[in-house]
Amino acid sequence: MIIEKERAELENKREFISKKEPLVSRENRKTVGHPIVENPRMTCRNVNVYYGDKHAIHDVTLDIGRNEVIAMIGPSGCGKSTFLRCLNRMNDTIDFCRITGAISLDGKNIYDKDVDVVPLRAQVGMVFQKPNPFPKSIYDNVAYGPKIHGLVQNRVETDEIVETSLKKAGLWEEVKDRLNQPGTSLSGGQQQRLCIARTIAVGPEVILMDEPCSALDPIATARIEDLIDELKENFSIAIVTHSMQQASRVSQRTAYFHLGDLIEVGSTDQVFLNPLHQLTEDYVTGRFG
Amino acid sequence: MKGKKIFAGLGVAAALTFGAITFNSNAIADSARDYISVVGSSTVYPFATVVAEQFGKTAGFKTPKIESTGTGGGMKLFCGGVGVQHPDIANASRRMKKSECEMCDKNGVKDILEVKIGYDGIVLGASKKSSAMNITRKELFLALAANVPEPGGAESVVPNPYKTWKDINPSLPANKIEVLGPPPTSGTRDAFVELVMEVGGSEFAWIKALEKADKDKFKSICHTIREDGAYIEAGENDNLIVQKLDANPSAFGIFGFSFLDQNGDKIQGTPVEGVVPTFEAIADGKYSVSRPLYFYVKKAHVDVIPGMKEYLKEFASEKAWGEDGYLSEKGLIPMPDDERKSFSKDVQTLKNLSCGDL
Amino acid sequence: MSETNIDIVKQGLEKRYGAEKRFRIYGVCAIAASLIFLAFLFISIGTNAYTAFQQTFIRLSVYFDPEILGDTTNKESLASANFPAVVKQSLLKMFPEVQSRSEKKQLTSLISSGASYYVRDMFIENPALVGETVQVWLPADDDVDMLIKGHVERGVEEGERRLNNNQLGWIEKLEKDGNIEKRFNKIFFTTGDSREPELAGIFGAVSGSFFTMIVTLLFSFPIGVAAAIYLEEFAKKNRWTDIIEVNINNLAAVPSIVFGLLGLAVFLNFFGMPRSAPLVGGLVMTLMTLPVIIIASRAALKSVPPSIREAALGVGASQMQMVFHHVLPLALPGMLTGAIIGMARALGETAPLLMIGMVAFIVDVPSGFTDPATALPVQIFLWADSPERGFLEKTSAAIMVLLTFLIAMNALAVILRKKFEKRW
Repeated sequence: MIIEKERAELENKREFISKKEPLVSRENRKTVGHPIVENPRMTCRNVNVYYGDKHAIHDVTLDIGRNEVIAMIGPSGCGKSTFLRCLNRMNDTIDFCRITGAISLDGKNIYDKDVDVVPLRAQVGMVFQKPNPFPKSIYDNVAYGPKIHGLVQNRVETDEIVETSLKKAGLWEEVKDRLNQPGTSLSGGQQQRLCIARTIAVGPEVILMDEPCSALDPIATARIEDLIDELKENFSIAIVTHSMQQASRVSQRTAYFHLGDLIEVGSTDQVFLNPLHQLTEDYVTGRFG
Repeated sequence: MKGKKIFAGLGVAAALTFGAITFNSNAIADSARDYISVVGSSTVYPFATVVAEQFGKTAGFKTPKIESTGTGGGMKLFCGGVGVQHPDIANASRRMKKSECEMCDKNGVKDILEVKIGYDGIVLGASKKSSAMNITRKELFLALAANVPEPGGAESVVPNPYKTWKDINPSLPANKIEVLGPPPTSGTRDAFVELVMEVGGSEFAWIKALEKADKDKFKSICHTIREDGAYIEAGENDNLIVQKLDANPSAFGIFGFSFLDQNGDKIQGTPVEGVVPTFEAIADGKYSVSRPLYFYVKKAHVDVIPGMKEYLKEFASEKAWGEDGYLSEKGLIPMPDDERKSFSKDVQTLKNLSCGDL
Repeated sequence: MSETNIDIVKQGLEKRYGAEKRFRIYGVCAIAASLIFLAFLFISIGTNAYTAFQQTFIRLSVYFDPEILGDTTNKESLASANFPAVVKQSLLKMFPEVQSRSEKKQLTSLISSGASYYVRDMFIENPALVGETVQVWLPADDDVDMLIKGHVERGVEEGERRLNNNQLGWIEKLEKDGNIEKRFNKIFFTTGDSREPELAGIFGAVSGSFFTMIVTLLFSFPIGVAAAIYLEEFAKKNRWTDIIEVNINNLAAVPSIVFGLLGLAVFLNFFGMPRSAPLVGGLVMTLMTLPVIIIASRAALKSVPPSIREAALGVGASQMQMVFHHVLPLALPGMLTGAIIGMARALGETAPLLMIGMVAFIVDVPSGFTDPATALPVQIFLWADSPERGFLEKTSAAIMVLLTFLIAMNALAVILRKKFEKRW
């Protein structure tokens, strides 16, 4: 198997990396661990991102598996959010952003010329750092996506999809009597769950979450984390987080980014308990970052 | 979704209006205008408007539209051509120039009727609170020209040295020279320059000789008004001058007779060469600083625009421009009887103006 | 060490608070100064204007004399029947002692020359009045009006007054009998321009301004908003869009007369549209208002938080859906504010209108977009330049009307913003 071979190569590299030496050299920042999985939902190969002259992401290779939660951690400015936003081409809106390499969804490179971003973003949904419901009613917030994509034909279907999405997002019981109130009237945690409901209403395959709990209190955070755990039954989820505890609670795999490099990928337990790379160890043990 | 609706609504509305407008303007260009369009002098404006209003209320036609564009601007529009988009009548506070007549001719406006409507006096007014002082045009020239003949008597000009009226003539009071008047764009200013400054300057024999010998030099001496603060440009608004005179009794103001007529309780007319500007003195020609007012009619429009003949008739009627007519109430100085009769006949026969006569 | 530090801090405190206090005083002074200027403006205009909202009327017993009116069955001839004689006769009857021709003329000049039109309209409405006597309040001449309102001194010498001693005597008698009084000036609000101050009204100018503004709104708002959306949301940022942006900013600062010249050249001379029409006025104002609306709309679009855009894009909205479903509704209040402020500026403009013939004497109230019309500020300008004393107060009153409209429009902008502003 190719994957086995790649893994073996990466394992070998570890031998060259001394835990004692200073790790500024780029040579020492090659990815270690298991970036490749079998039967992935999304694959990223040699992805580089440039903001104008700035080289923001260096040569990242990473897979996102099916029905798994992959957490991306790392110190501020390490490029994890930038990388996440490449996965549904949100960076397209930035004029001077340039991306090389290949990112594929179900085997199809999403940066190919014939790929339309509109259906892509329906397949790869996104939840943002700050809850950003539309300034519309709760109902309209959830119904908006299905409506523009033509997934619903009439009120009955819309009602149904709104209800199931809100139920999946664990918000139904709290809002079912006030669907016509503005989404912005909800609390922060509820708003974020509304945003999740809005995203899953379109029926995506992958959900990208960009620090979804950083603006929330611990109780709301716990609810979202439970929700993420439930959602992985149906979706692949990539979550960027500042909180290592959160990463360890919700994710199966963890990717550690450092200054634009993907340093280490592995099962969450392995990355936190037995990191292969000195930089990862420094970060997860709190010596750095 | 709401935004889209609003936007679409506005878009449709704009499209509809534009459609309606293109349609409308075509319709208008094709069809005849049903009101008389008058342009021209702001001095004639107050008189022409009274006639227009009277005409509109009694004759059963729409009230003519009167634009105050200034004489020169009015002539330009008037001579633009024949057709409903061009005005029918041009008011003028001076006679049409030969060049203007030729421009008309070139653009196909060949038959023009000239009507003199009466006279307007230009008044040097002062506050009622000041004592009247008699003045001559020569003194006015010396007070207001930028450059005046050298006081020693040599035939050359020096920048105006006079600060007070007494400097010019010892019999005048020792008040600072301070005259409020219209800016160069005004017809009143043109008339003042022509009727006062040129005449006053010509009192000096050598300047008078220049008029023939070196017209440019003559103009530069007589037409240039001093800019050292003695002459204050008060804008086109004659009402403003009246108000300022009331506040400053030692100042004088230059404006049309109708403003003196309407504000007799606040300001007095200064006698020029011993003649007080009164209605009678201007009417019989004793008061020298007065000018005739005209209007010009495009004869090609007389039978096209409804009401043209009736408007002319109203203007040339005794109840309008006669001795006791309503125009005299507004400050127009009527022409003598025989002149009125003659122009009234011109109106009836639509006498043609020939450019050669100008 | 820490003690000395806190001492230094304390020493500086006084200075810091002093600076703050001074700045607050400057601020209060600035506000007070602008308020004083405003108050001065309103008071000076208001004191001149308030008398214009009243008008002196004289009560006459009008006898519809069948002999003077002639055939009253024919509506055509009725319009030109001798109603002035009817009015004059009624007035003369009140003063039987007036006999000489010149005295009669002086007496009848006390009543407005327009009074006969009111009597005529009254009669045409109800022809059954023939042979009847009716008590009617008719507008007095502007000279009488000025005297009653106290704008003219009664004390000055006879020759310097526009009313002579005889006329003063008659007016005093009318006053004593209660036949002369000041009433609300309905004429001012319902008629077009006139050369007689007592008959002049603001309604013609208000209608002209209304039609002009409608055209301006219909064109400038959709075009301005569409241009702003395209430039802000769709256009690539390159040299061309930079040039366009600089030009739009420059256009916003171009003197308005330039737009008048442009309108003259394009709309009148090239498209052959009618002179003096609100349609053309509105189009010229559109040219003038467009840059303002575009700039305001772009600012409004920029102020929509990026999170909303991301949210829309994140669920798969296209660029256009994002703009029209989410960004535009949020930016609309700001755009409306910009549009209304631009319109308010256009409402106060005269210079461009001069070029396209809207500075004109127009009596008939315009009833459409192509009727000759004038506008409010033009009316103010024309009245300010009229010699009759009566127009002084009309000018101020017209300024009041204009200011009222401007305040109303700005208030509308505030209300719209408050109403449609969404929190996020």
